[in-house]
Amino acid sequence: MSGSDTLNTEKQPAVCLEIRDVVKQFPGVTAVDHISLEIKEGEIFTFLGPSGCGKSTLLRIVAGLENQDQGDVLIAGEVVNDLPPYKRDCSTVFQSHALFPHMSVADNIGFGLVERKIPKADIKKRVQAKVDLVNLGGMEDRFPHQLSGGQMQRVALARSLVLEPTVLLLDEPLAALDRKLRKEMQIELKRIQREVGTTFLNVTHDQKEALSLSDRIAVMKDGVLLQIGTPNEIYETPRTRFVASFMGATNIFAGSVIDASDDLLTFKADTGLQVIIPTPADIPADQITGFSVHPELIDLIQGDANPELTCTETDVMLPGTIKEVFYLGDFSEMSVIVDDTDLILTVYMTRGWNGPNMKMSEGEHIIAQWSGESMNLLVG
Amino acid sequence: MKKRKLAPKILWILSILTLIFLWAPMILVIVYSFSNNKYGSSWEGFTLKWYVKLATNDQVRDALMRSLIIAGVTVVVSTLIGTVTAYGLYKLNFKGKNFLRTSILLPIVFPSVVTGSALLVFFTRLIHLPLGYPSIIIAHIVFCSPLAVFIILGRMQRFDWAWEEAALDLGATPLRTFIRVTGPQLLPAIMASAMLIFPWSFDDFVITYFVAGVGSTTLPIYVFSQLRFGATPVINTIGTLFVTVTMLGMLAVYFVQKMGKSSSSA
Repeated sequence: MSGSDTLNTEKQPAVCLEIRDVVKQFPGVTAVDHISLEIKEGEIFTFLGPSGCGKSTLLRIVAGLENQDQGDVLIAGEVVNDLPPYKRDCSTVFQSHALFPHMSVADNIGFGLVERKIPKADIKKRVQAKVDLVNLGGMEDRFPHQLSGGQMQRVALARSLVLEPTVLLLDEPLAALDRKLRKEMQIELKRIQREVGTTFLNVTHDQKEALSLSDRIAVMKDGVLLQIGTPNEIYETPRTRFVASFMGATNIFAGSVIDASDDLLTFKADTGLQVIIPTPADIPADQITGFSVHPELIDLIQGDANPELTCTETDVMLPGTIKEVFYLGDFSEMSVIVDDTDLILTVYMTRGWNGPNMKMSEGEHIIAQWSGESMNLLVG
Repeated sequence: MKKRKLAPKILWILSILTLIFLWAPMILVIVYSFSNNKYGSSWEGFTLKWYVKLATNDQVRDALMRSLIIAGVTVVVSTLIGTVTAYGLYKLNFKGKNFLRTSILLPIVFPSVVTGSALLVFFTRLIHLPLGYPSIIIAHIVFCSPLAVFIILGRMQRFDWAWEEAALDLGATPLRTFIRVTGPQLLPAIMASAMLIFPWSFDDFVITYFVAGVGSTTLPIYVFSQLRFGATPVINTIGTLFVTVTMLGMLAVYFVQKMGKSSSSA
């Protein structure tokens, strides 16, 4: 790991895992459909998608636990297609932890070092270092059945990290933990990753976890890679309808651009709604198939206010009625039915808005408003 | 209120009767083994002379040794075959797997007389195997290894196979994975099948009688042949030893299980 940055004058980190056009078929389904991507050294990369999207299969292909039908996997620049799992320079943290029940915590962590024929004294030192890293001091002699879920998770993590793999693979590492513990482990994972600097390849179906943990995210569906980007890009500028709704931008309008100028587009949605959107720099107008608006970017204005005063050209205003209010504590989720249509908008109102002085309740007539910049264009 | 108490009472009496029914013959055998009566069938004062006779009887010692050797070899080979077969039946996918899995049951459900005579014909007419140790041991393996297969297969069904993947992933070759992870996980099942197979093999009369041939008398066959010439109290002493050894074995299993439970449920 230290040898690679000697001649690297550019600050670009090296590619440590590359997946080239990988395909995996199972009877009746294509689990992984021509996926290619590069993961850079030291980043936390996440495969995100609903269950059955092929993200775990792809992870298992990288680990060597599953063989791809087509395509190459390169770890640290070397094709590892034909290497069995025990010869690949990567290590997996399994969802079920898969700790060896007949071995103590220390023996579990030292398992891989024994296989590498490291001297005993050395194993002890390296195991101890990782025990300290994951905060398991004093638990070395316990057995897996004496540990809590979070502790088992830490042992599994230490057991893989002690081998200093080029890539650490995490298969839904937090799914088995309860919500509070999940949050705690998420912070722990991030701290540990920053400390050891190992590349993490994480698999999850939880958008929140992916957003808060990752440096970059790849969203998958039905074996297809839909979008790769930073958490910011994935959340704020999803490019397809699926990514948008999966990331929580539930207000999606399908339609097409009917008029385009240098700085403004006129977009007509299938519902008849016509809006003006600032022309994007990176998307050709004829590829646009819709737009999405995040629920937290929509404002609700109470019926008696006069909206025309603050309105600009690209602002969208739709009169409607509040159909339902779901009170969630820190914010309320409202569904608003737009007048004379069956269009339903989802709007989040934080307490600051819908709080002490502003009460909005079901049945109230309001105006939903959002700005031109809040509209994110979709191409698929 | 009285009616309610009747049912437990009846149950209690039935249990006692059942226990007496089960235990009385064994207790009689033990008691008469210390009796002076020369037919071993009534109490005529305490003696240890039948035990002295047993200890100096070469035939008994030979038969006992033979039975122990046969049971020992049978246990080792059967558990080995059982482990490998169960592993293959669980992990491999091939045509006719279910048929094979079910057909392995046959030696257990077949009447011993059928298995015994079939083996005898097979050994003498088809492969001309000399009757004696080889034929007895092969016969015992035939009806004992299915038991091992089923016990070990049962254990495998409750396995978290991610263990194996984790071991491979951490750098263990498939062989090392079996030695360090799968094997130790299977050990309780292997031991359990060994403890069941040993008495099966040691006790077996019917099948052994068919394939033993002349001059390779096992202990059960010896006991049977002695009874034909009229009971001698030496038989009682053999019975007593059997009961004692079996009880000790059961106690050992009980304590091993108890220790295993207390260490895994803490």
